[in-house]
Amino acid sequence: MRRTLCLIACLIAAPAAAQVRAVEVRTPRPFGYFLGDLVQATVEIDVDPGFVLQAASLPSPGPVAYWLDLRAVERETAGTRQRLRLTYQTFYAAIDARSLEVPGFPLVLASDDRHGSTTATVQVPAWSLGLSPLREVQPPRRADPADYLRPDGSGPRLRSEPMRTVSLALAALALAALGLLARDRAWWPFRARPSRAFAGPARRLAVLARGPQTDETYRAGLTALHRGLDAAAGQRLLADDLAAFLARHTAYRGQQDGLDSFFAASRLAFFGGATGDARAQLPLAEVAATARRLAAAERAA
Amino acid sequence: MNDIRSGDAILTDWRAAAARFERAVAGAVLGQDRAIRLVTIAIFARGHVLLEGDVGVGKTTLLRAVARAMGGAYERIEGTVDLMPTDLVYHTYLAEDGRPRVEPGPVLRASEDLAIFFFNEINRARPQVHALLLRLMAERSLAAFNREYRFPHLQVFADRNRVEREETFELPAAARDRFLMEIPIEAPRDAEARRALVFDPRFHDTDALIAEVEPNLLDPSALAGIASAIQHGVRASAAIETYVVALWEALLRPHAAGIRLPGIDDLAGLVQGGASPRGVAALVRAARVRAWLEGRDWLVPEDVRAVFPEVMAHRVFLEPVHELRRSEIVPALCRAVFETVPAP
Repeated sequence: MRRTLCLIACLIAAPAAAQVRAVEVRTPRPFGYFLGDLVQATVEIDVDPGFVLQAASLPSPGPVAYWLDLRAVERETAGTRQRLRLTYQTFYAAIDARSLEVPGFPLVLASDDRHGSTTATVQVPAWSLGLSPLREVQPPRRADPADYLRPDGSGPRLRSEPMRTVSLALAALALAALGLLARDRAWWPFRARPSRAFAGPARRLAVLARGPQTDETYRAGLTALHRGLDAAAGQRLLADDLAAFLARHTAYRGQQDGLDSFFAASRLAFFGGATGDARAQLPLAEVAATARRLAAAERAA
Repeated sequence: MNDIRSGDAILTDWRAAAARFERAVAGAVLGQDRAIRLVTIAIFARGHVLLEGDVGVGKTTLLRAVARAMGGAYERIEGTVDLMPTDLVYHTYLAEDGRPRVEPGPVLRASEDLAIFFFNEINRARPQVHALLLRLMAERSLAAFNREYRFPHLQVFADRNRVEREETFELPAAARDRFLMEIPIEAPRDAEARRALVFDPRFHDTDALIAEVEPNLLDPSALAGIASAIQHGVRASAAIETYVVALWEALLRPHAAGIRLPGIDDLAGLVQGGASPRGVAALVRAARVRAWLEGRDWLVPEDVRAVFPEVMAHRVFLEPVHELRRSEIVPALCRAVFETVPAP
């Protein structure tokens, strides 16, 4: 619904009248504006060929009246028709529906030809704007003044699932990284247990002592305890090193007798070529008992 | 623990003689019990010995005491730059009647009874002399005066000053390999022995000190027989054979045996060679003598370990880049070998 507000400019001066044919102000509607609304107004001026609007004569954006601001001015030319698009904003707090006049303004048209410059002034007429109040003047009484306020708009609902998923994933990643770090630094679960040198040999000897007794198993049993002693000493332990070993590892000092007879039997079995004598001197069960006592001493240490 | 059978009573007697010999030498040389034990082992293994050490630690005294306690014909010579091989074999002079004379030199003077030839400061002698010595040590023979001399009882003792390098000639590898042992001699660490060595006037006069040593405790002509009896009498079990071969392998290829030495990155290229079969055979010979001295007629790993550094260290040849640090690397390598190779 577009109503045209058409005013033919009065002819003040003959030359100007001859050059400006028509001035027209259009708005989408003449009423129904509220406080803060933007009002689009289009000024159309039909001119003689060669005349254009002088840029300097255009109204500049800014306050027009105490209740009205001009927000934007756009100019376009279509043949002999000069068009201005004006954007106003009204700040009039109306208490009843009323019509206010938007003031007119002059514009200068200019034509440059080889005889010189011809200018013509055209007055854009004032036009009226119908403004309406936002609410009634006297609202119904409320017991609680807070009731006059509208409730707060509810904010957008935040979804917590993705965040929980991400945080769980990051926690798992952090845990994995901690695991890697602990492994790298040999922290707790990765810290090698002080290897139990005698635990394995003691088990192996217990198994061998229960089984059938041959020279082979006897030598295998002795070798097992030798390996345990090597591991405990951190080097290969020969019979002559026993005293130094016991001086260093005081926990096993109580087993000196057992170890002495073990080394004597081992020498005899491996190097003396008398495994039978060695078995008679120190049966495998006793070697196993020595190993068990060593393992116990190792755990206690 | 005396496991030697009664039929080997002669070995038992000789063991007592060896103990007397060790005591006699230890009376004159303080704080060198290990060196004396090793020299004793070398004597009964019929091996030549090279002593190495600083100046004035008693290398010469030890060898003179050993020579006196052992008995038999004894000659000594000092290594010098101008010593020539002929100086060992003969010397020429004009006699009182004005006629030239040729007399046997130190090696030939005692003829074929020569039991101990003592070469002092061996690294001062020239390579020509080393070459002569090489044959003397390896074959116990020498060609001179159109005939061949044999020295069945000969044992060469040499000493070498470790500090000085000027005007010396490094022993060739072949000559070093001929020595059964290279025994490092160091001043005793024991404070009491040091005090005695410095303050007791008995140790100041070396000649008098050596004269106190009980002489002729071992009969050189019988040593070869007894040495052979020891080698045949001391048994080596299959376990010890495996052990020695594993030691040998670990010494030659330490990286393969899993040995790590601090400060050496390319362990694979550390050992260039050496540790010859002759060297390992010498190791077993010396270990057998040690077992016999300990009163056993079978070998144990401790016997091998007791003689290993002195018998094997000088037979290992390192890459030239490591050769300068030899005195650190080789003992560490020997220790690591024994710490790595499982005994039984």
